[in-house]
Amino acid sequence: MTSPSPASAIEITGLTKDFSLNLRGIKLRAVDNLTLRVPEGEVFGLLGPNGSGKSTTIKIILGLLEPTAGECKVFGVPSGRVDSRLNVGYLPEAPYFYRYLSGTELVRFYGRICGVPRKQLDERVREVIDWVGLSGAAHRRVGTYSKGMLQRIGLAQALVHDPRLIILDEPTAGVDPVGSAEISELIRKLKTQGKTVLITSHLLAQIEDICDRVAILDKGKLIVEGSVDELVGLHDRQSLIVDSLPAAELEELRRWLASRGHALNAVERPRTRLDQLFLSKVSRPQKGGDAQ
Amino acid sequence: MSIASSSSRTVPFSLGRLGIVAGNTFLEAVRQKLFNFLLLLAVALVASAQLFREFNFGSSELKFISDFGFGAMVFFGSTLTIAATAQLFFSEIENRTALTILAKPIWRTEFIFGKFLGVFAVVGVFCALTTVLLLALLYHRETALMTANPEAFENGRIIHYGDLVLMGVLQWLKFGVLAAITLLIASFSNTNLYTVVMGFFVLVICHLQYLARDAYGAVASLPLRLLVQALGYVFPNFQVFNLADQIGIGQGIGAEVFLRVAGYALIYIAVIGGLAVYSFRNREI
Amino acid sequence: MKSNLAAFRPLWTGVLVVAALAVVGVAVRPVEAPAWRFVRSRQPALKLDSLQGALGQGVTVGLLGGFRAIVADFFWIKTNSVWEDNDLPATQTFIKLVTAIDPRPLYFWQNGARMIAYDMPNWRIIAEGGYNAVPAARQRKIDEEQSAVALKYLNDAFGYHPNSALLYVEIANVYLNRLKDTASAAEAYRLASLQPGAPFYAARIHAELLRKLGRTMDAYVWLKQLYPTLPKTVDPAKGVSEFTVESAMAPVVLSRIRELEGELNIPDSEAFKP
Repeated sequence: MTSPSPASAIEITGLTKDFSLNLRGIKLRAVDNLTLRVPEGEVFGLLGPNGSGKSTTIKIILGLLEPTAGECKVFGVPSGRVDSRLNVGYLPEAPYFYRYLSGTELVRFYGRICGVPRKQLDERVREVIDWVGLSGAAHRRVGTYSKGMLQRIGLAQALVHDPRLIILDEPTAGVDPVGSAEISELIRKLKTQGKTVLITSHLLAQIEDICDRVAILDKGKLIVEGSVDELVGLHDRQSLIVDSLPAAELEELRRWLASRGHALNAVERPRTRLDQLFLSKVSRPQKGGDAQ
Repeated sequence: MSIASSSSRTVPFSLGRLGIVAGNTFLEAVRQKLFNFLLLLAVALVASAQLFREFNFGSSELKFISDFGFGAMVFFGSTLTIAATAQLFFSEIENRTALTILAKPIWRTEFIFGKFLGVFAVVGVFCALTTVLLLALLYHRETALMTANPEAFENGRIIHYGDLVLMGVLQWLKFGVLAAITLLIASFSNTNLYTVVMGFFVLVICHLQYLARDAYGAVASLPLRLLVQALGYVFPNFQVFNLADQIGIGQGIGAEVFLRVAGYALIYIAVIGGLAVYSFRNREI
Repeated sequence: MKSNLAAFRPLWTGVLVVAALAVVGVAVRPVEAPAWRFVRSRQPALKLDSLQGALGQGVTVGLLGGFRAIVADFFWIKTNSVWEDNDLPATQTFIKLVTAIDPRPLYFWQNGARMIAYDMPNWRIIAEGGYNAVPAARQRKIDEEQSAVALKYLNDAFGYHPNSALLYVEIANVYLNRLKDTASAAEAYRLASLQPGAPFYAARIHAELLRKLGRTMDAYVWLKQLYPTLPKTVDPAKGVSEFTVESAMAPVVLSRIRELEGELNIPDSEAFKP
C-alpha cells in the first residue's frame, strides 16, 4: 500500500467509479479499483483503448466527477476540493473554446479565473501565447482557428497560471505531424521546467518518445505500469548497428557468435522513422498560424 | 515558481470570479447578436405608436402606447429570458467549454450564479432600452396631445414617468425570477429544447398560479384541495408584477407596493438560484 | 449502496426542490400578500362566462394570464375597424366585449356609448332608406331605442366607476342631444358637478339648462352657491394652474348671475356680493 507522498503530483488509491444507468441500479463500472501514482516532475502517459476509463480517471482528477469509492489527491489535496485545481492546467480532448473571443481574450479570461494577479496578467498572457507560437493570430477570434491552432491556444490557457501539473487529453488528435512534433517539443520543455505532465494519447509512438512512465488501462483496470524503458525494452537482446557487411564477413560473424553460444537472430537494415522523414522534408509553420 | 502558489492555499468563494463568468456570458450574448432583434422591436413599437395616431384616440392614445409597449416588453422579454438562459447555459455543456472552466479553481456556485448574472444583465439592457424608448414615445405624444387637447390634461400630465421606470425595473426582476427558473430546469435537463419548452410551460403556470389560490376554498375533496394549495405555494405568482396597466390609465404604484414586489422577486431569485446550484452540483459534465 | 443512492439522486433532488419552493412560497406570502391585494383591487373580476364563445382559447388564456389591457386594446382597434364599416351588430358586440374584458378605462365606456347613441341611429336610418325616406316618427323611435341601449350601457359602467363625473356628462348629453329631454339632462349635469374631480362646465351647463326649463330662480340660487367655490387666481401651492382658472370661468359665472338678477328683478341691495 503506497502512502501519500509530497513528491507525488497525483496519488490515486483504490479508485472506483460506477455510472448508474437507471433506477434499478444497473451500473456501468468505468474505473475499477485503480491505484496509481504520478511522480512530480515526470511526463506520464495514460494509455488504453476507447472505453478503458482514461477520461473518467482524468475527470476525477480534475474534480469534475465524484468517485464511487477510493480517493484521488493532487499534490496532497483531495481532488474534489476547488483548491486542488490551483496548480493544474488542463487541455481537453478536441478542445472547443468560446468562438467569439480572440486568442488573447480567451487566455486572459482563463488567467483571471485561475487567479493570475492583474499586474502580471497581460505580460503572462503575452508570454504563453508567444510560447505556443500564436502571437500573430492572438488578435483573431478563436472561431477562425484551425485545429492545430486550437490545440495551441488550448495549451496556452492550460499554462497561463503556470501550473505544476498539466493534463493533456489527446493533445495531438487530428493534428498534422508538424503540429504534433511541436506539441511534443513543448512537452519536453515543460519537463525541463520541472512540470509534471499527464498525457493520454492513441499515438503510441509519440507516447514512447516523450513519456518517462506509462500506465495502460483496459475495462477500467490497471493492466500494466512502469517506465517506458522497463516496459518496451527487450532486456535479453541487444542491437548493434554496423556498416553494411559483405555476405562472407556476415557469415564469419555468425560463426563467431555461435562458437560462444549466441545466435544471430536477425540481420536487417535500420530504418529512420516516417514522422522524422516527414519533418525533415516539409516546411515548419510560421509564428501565428499554420504551415506556410 | 508557480503564479498560483502552493496547494495549501484554500479557494474562498469569490464574487470576482462570479463577475468574470457573468461578464463573459454577457459578452457572448452581445457577440452572438442577441440584441439585434431589439432593433426590430424598437421599429415595431414606433410603428405601432404611429398607427394609434391614425385612430385619433385622443388622450387615451397614451394608454394604447403604454399597454402595447409593456405587452411587447413582457412577450419579447419572456422569450429572450428563456431562450438566452437556455442557450447561454447549454452552449457551455454541448461545446464542452464547461469542462474547461470547471477544471479551473472555480466553484460550481460561482459558475451558475455567474451565468445567471450574465443573463440578468442581458435582460436588464433589454428592459432598460425598451423602457427608455417607451418613455420617449409617451413623453413625445403626451406633449403633442397636451397642446392639441388641453382640457384632457387639466390636472397636468397623465403618465407617471417615475412609476413607468419602476415598472421597467419590476419587469426586469420578474425576468430575473424566470431566468433562475430556466437555469434550474437547465441544471438537470439534457437538451436546450426541453429546457425552453419547460421554461415556457412554467411561465404559463406562474401566470395562472393565482387561479389555484382562488380555487383553493372552492374545492371539496381534501387531497385535491391540498394539491391546489401546494400549487399556489410552489410556483411564484407572476401576476403580482402585472402593474403596467396602471400607467396607461394615469395611475401609479406606491413605494410600498414596489418594494414588496421587488423583495418578492429577489427572494425567489436567491432561492431558485440556490436550488439550481444544488441541482448542478452533482451533474456529471 | 452509494451507487444505488446515486441512482435515486435525481428523485431526491426533485423532491427537495419542490419542498424548498413550497416552504419559500409560504414564507414570502406575508411579503407578497399586500402587493397582491393591491393588484387584485385594480383588476375587476373577469366574467369569463359572458365572454365564452366570443374568444378563442388562446385569448382566454391570455386574459387569465393577466394581459387584459392589451387584449381589450386589441379588440377596441377591431371595434374601430367594424365601426368604419358601419357594421352595427359587430360594433355593438365588440363594444360590449371590450368593456367585459377590461372595464377599467373610462374611454371605452364613453366612446362605446357615443357609437351606440350617435352613430348607430344614423346607420339604421340610412339602412332604412335615408333621412328623406324614413318618417320623423320612425327616426325618433330609432333614436329612443339606441339612446336606451346607450343609457343602460353607461349605467352598467357605474359598477366600475361609481363616482365618475364624465359618465354623468355622457348620460346628460344623450338626454340632451338625442332624446331632447332637458330636465333629465339638467339633473344628470347636476349629479356630474357633485362628483370629485368634476369638470367646471358641468355646473355651468346645469344652470343653463335650468334657465332653458324656465327655472330661473333655481338657476340663480345654484350659480350663487357655485361662484364662491370657483378658483379666481393662480395658486401653485394649492395646485391651481392658469388653465384651471381659465376653465373655472368665474367671471363668466358672475356675468350669468348678473343676467339672472336682471331677469328676476333683484334689487341692488339684495344682489349677489362676490
